[in-house]
Amino acid sequence: MRALTRRQFLAGTSLAATSVAVGGWARPGHAQGGPVKIGLVLPYTGVYAVLGESITQAMELVFARENWTVAGRKIEMIKEDDEMKPPVGIRKTEKLIDSDKVDILTGPVHSGILMGMRDKVHSSKTILIVSNAGADAISRDRCSKWIFRASFSNWQPNAPMGPWVAKNVAKEVFIAAPNYQAGKDQLGAFKETFVPAGGKIIGEDYPKLGETDYAPYLTKIRQSGAKAVYAFFSGTDAVNFVKQYDQFGLKQHVRLTGAGFLVEPDVLPAQGNAALGVVSGHFYTPLLDNAVNQRFVKEFKEKFGGKMPDGFACQGYDTAETIVRALKAVNGNTQDKDKLVAVIEKTEFESPRGHFRFDPKTHNVIQPFIYVREVKEVAGGLNNVVIDKIASVADPGTGCTLPA
Amino acid sequence: MTARVVAFAVVIVALALFPSVAGNYPVKLLQEILIWGVFAMSLDLLMGFTGMVSFGHSAFFGLGGYVAALALLQSPGALAGLVLPAAAAALVALVVGFLSIRVSGVYFIMLTLAFSQMFFAVTFQVQRLGAEDGIVGVPRPRILGVDLAGATAFHLYLVALLALLAILLWRIVQSPFGHVLRGIHENEARMEAVGYPVRRYKLLAFVIAGSVAGIAGALYTQLNGYISPDAFFWTTSGEALLMVIIGGTGTLAGAVLGAAAFILLQSLVSTYTERWMLILGVTFIVFVLFAPGGIVGTMRGAARTARAWPRRAGAARRALRRQA
Amino acid sequence: MPVPILADVFAQTLNGLSYGVLLFLLSVGLTLIFGMLDVVNLAHGSFYMLGAYAGLALIAATGNFWLALIAAPIVVGGLGMLVERTCLRPLYRRPPLDQILLTFGFIYLFEDVVKWIWGGRIRSIPSPALFSGSVTLFGATIPSYRVFVIVFGLTVAAALWALIERTRLGSIIRAGVFDAEMTAGLGINVHRVFTGVFGFGAALAALSGVIAGPIQSAYPAMGTEILVRTLIVVVVGGLGSLKGSLAGSLIIGQAETFGKAWLPDTAMLIIYVVMALVVLLRPQGLFGRPLK
Repeated sequence: MRALTRRQFLAGTSLAATSVAVGGWARPGHAQGGPVKIGLVLPYTGVYAVLGESITQAMELVFARENWTVAGRKIEMIKEDDEMKPPVGIRKTEKLIDSDKVDILTGPVHSGILMGMRDKVHSSKTILIVSNAGADAISRDRCSKWIFRASFSNWQPNAPMGPWVAKNVAKEVFIAAPNYQAGKDQLGAFKETFVPAGGKIIGEDYPKLGETDYAPYLTKIRQSGAKAVYAFFSGTDAVNFVKQYDQFGLKQHVRLTGAGFLVEPDVLPAQGNAALGVVSGHFYTPLLDNAVNQRFVKEFKEKFGGKMPDGFACQGYDTAETIVRALKAVNGNTQDKDKLVAVIEKTEFESPRGHFRFDPKTHNVIQPFIYVREVKEVAGGLNNVVIDKIASVADPGTGCTLPA
Repeated sequence: MTARVVAFAVVIVALALFPSVAGNYPVKLLQEILIWGVFAMSLDLLMGFTGMVSFGHSAFFGLGGYVAALALLQSPGALAGLVLPAAAAALVALVVGFLSIRVSGVYFIMLTLAFSQMFFAVTFQVQRLGAEDGIVGVPRPRILGVDLAGATAFHLYLVALLALLAILLWRIVQSPFGHVLRGIHENEARMEAVGYPVRRYKLLAFVIAGSVAGIAGALYTQLNGYISPDAFFWTTSGEALLMVIIGGTGTLAGAVLGAAAFILLQSLVSTYTERWMLILGVTFIVFVLFAPGGIVGTMRGAARTARAWPRRAGAARRALRRQA
Repeated sequence: MPVPILADVFAQTLNGLSYGVLLFLLSVGLTLIFGMLDVVNLAHGSFYMLGAYAGLALIAATGNFWLALIAAPIVVGGLGMLVERTCLRPLYRRPPLDQILLTFGFIYLFEDVVKWIWGGRIRSIPSPALFSGSVTLFGATIPSYRVFVIVFGLTVAAALWALIERTRLGSIIRAGVFDAEMTAGLGINVHRVFTGVFGFGAALAALSGVIAGPIQSAYPAMGTEILVRTLIVVVVGGLGSLKGSLAGSLIIGQAETFGKAWLPDTAMLIIYVVMALVVLLRPQGLFGRPLK
């Protein structure tokens, strides 16, 4: 009996002690003049940590250029690892908003985390600049006046590819993507424009996310008689799919095309020569020859040990650039959120991807171009070389009623 | 007895008052601990008291979570938030339990694992259930006229439910029914020989554990406004097992302590070092090897040693005197 | 032009075979460990992962795939023996659950160590130069590497059969699987055999990992993903039975492959349903010992 009482007592006091220690976390809101807090919810561990790092590094590049000070206030980046897991991502988002009281939130990579954090961001009136996740819904029925997207919507890289593939590659195409919302969205956008352009979908497959053995699907593709494949895969899936596609000897007979993520620099090294000749659509490639990009690539490589920036880095650059310009425009006043939102909405500048601006209808970036690229061997290794481009691609934003 | 009641009351009050001394993030962590604690306690009933090791307990957690999500999106009330998830979980537990209890040991583990993976496979693929992304934007219910969207209201609601479920499980474990379960854990053949319908008892324990796990899942959905297929994956069951073992099997309170240890490790340690999984794995291995009684077992052992000191010190002194 | 149906089926059968062979190498180790030590080694998937990474490291260091194929399993097998000797052996007197839980803890440990050393991103493992193209057999096109995998796997299966059925060591193992106490009673140092079998099982898992590497690359989570498949194979085939492992892995390999090709939405579900049915209707699996 006494032992149990002691146990309960121990539990009670340790809980009390912890709460006192931990209560110290509840930081008071900072007064004007303190640092501007930028929160980053990104993966820093796991397969997608490469993306988290790219985005963060580009942001650091931009802030360093400004000497980490804008309108007389210091810029403070608070990074939180979301491990690509929605429960963790939502937890960290709440920490950044409630505990750290960030002025501007950025991230995430995972669309599921974005959808999970959307309501918290909206109800707490926190400004979020999405630096990757492409869930179409955020620019459509789940849009919010507080949420901007400096990266892309899943629709954007794929819709222009429909007519292009129909005209330049083949009219009989087999499409494939992992079986999750982003996969369906991306292929959906492709189908939307490919079929009216005279294209025919010979076959459609959605292997499970995280599939390691694509053999059954590749055999199906071979049997189907399709002249080309349009695919969306990213990360580990992209590596395995492209490698196995090559191993099956398909590339010679069935042209592989797809959304840019299939062959971005995060997966190209692992794919190696298997990726040669793959055609993809994306808003960026480090080989773009505009002045801002050339400077960006040069500075990025210098600062980060020769590392080549990729589309994700470009997204980070644009996110940070938007923040810097908006803060300058409001003279560092982060308390008047409505004004800050209005200013962000009107932000325009020359970005490595071209002329950057937001669509006031959806708060999504209007892609100055979607570049059609082919993987080729260039000086320094494999890269995505531009072979064509489609101008001014804006997400249709169906169902978005801003201001909301 | 009264000392125990008082201690329990103190803890509950401390938990209820926590938001007044801590910011939102620590409170959120505590709330997650409470919910996982409920989940782990239900597993402890099954594992620690009845001796049925299930690697498929996440099936009921996930089921409660999904039913709550779908129901709350239709009409946010106590029916959707608590009653339906518990009922659904109980029903499924009845079916799964009935099928699984026919085998034991390793086969029971495999079968329960298979069932939870089936749920995973379905929710992972089916678009209407959100597929890989799960269900988002789930509102909190209105219960007894109180809108639980408010932070304080929700916190008190969680603490109250934890207290009620803890008391419920404690009463079950102390009751004659609970004693039969413990008897089954110790020696099933003997209980059969004495004449108890062992299978029926095990099934009932399975159903109770399943429904409580379902409530935990429903609460999880209400806390985050979100549920995903990960809730069903076999590693979720494994993590619950981890919590029970670390806290102390067969103690109920240990399950909550284990949940606290796991969540704090996952959240706090991950802020300082990327190697939190390594630490968790090593901690778990160390516990299994050297502290099978878990935190509670170790504390009880320490308390017993502490109580025995006067006696031992006296014996030592006498021994020394004899030597001299 | 679309290919005739027979060639289609043949091609998918080959796919299923190459996948089944990988499962076989994994499940054999697991089933032996269970049969012998009564332990469900949940860390088995981790040995698979460690094998793939060991292969990666060895190929990077020596540029030779064949060397990696031999050395990686030896390294991981040694690690397995170490784990058994230091952590599992003290637990033999305790209920089997404790041992199972211990192996669960090792999953976290191994996965994080691998992440620590190699980082979390996916690593490509090159296939040997000898088998980097594709061949066409009876109208079915398949990478030559997968043909190698099938031939190699079946050869290993034959070698294992010879080892278990025809050698003295094999009979000791068989005896131990059948009744460990009695075998100890015969004067054989059963503990040493246990360590050996555990290490051998780990080595087989690692071999599967090295072979799988050129097909699916290496990443830290590859262990937990393949583990459930392996458990299913072992249950269907029969815990403790070598024949069962082969049968189970070939069946599951074909089931999953054809499931993906013809019934994509239900592919995942089917194998779990098969597993549940086997446990319910014939818990000892196809070739396992009948339960007492």
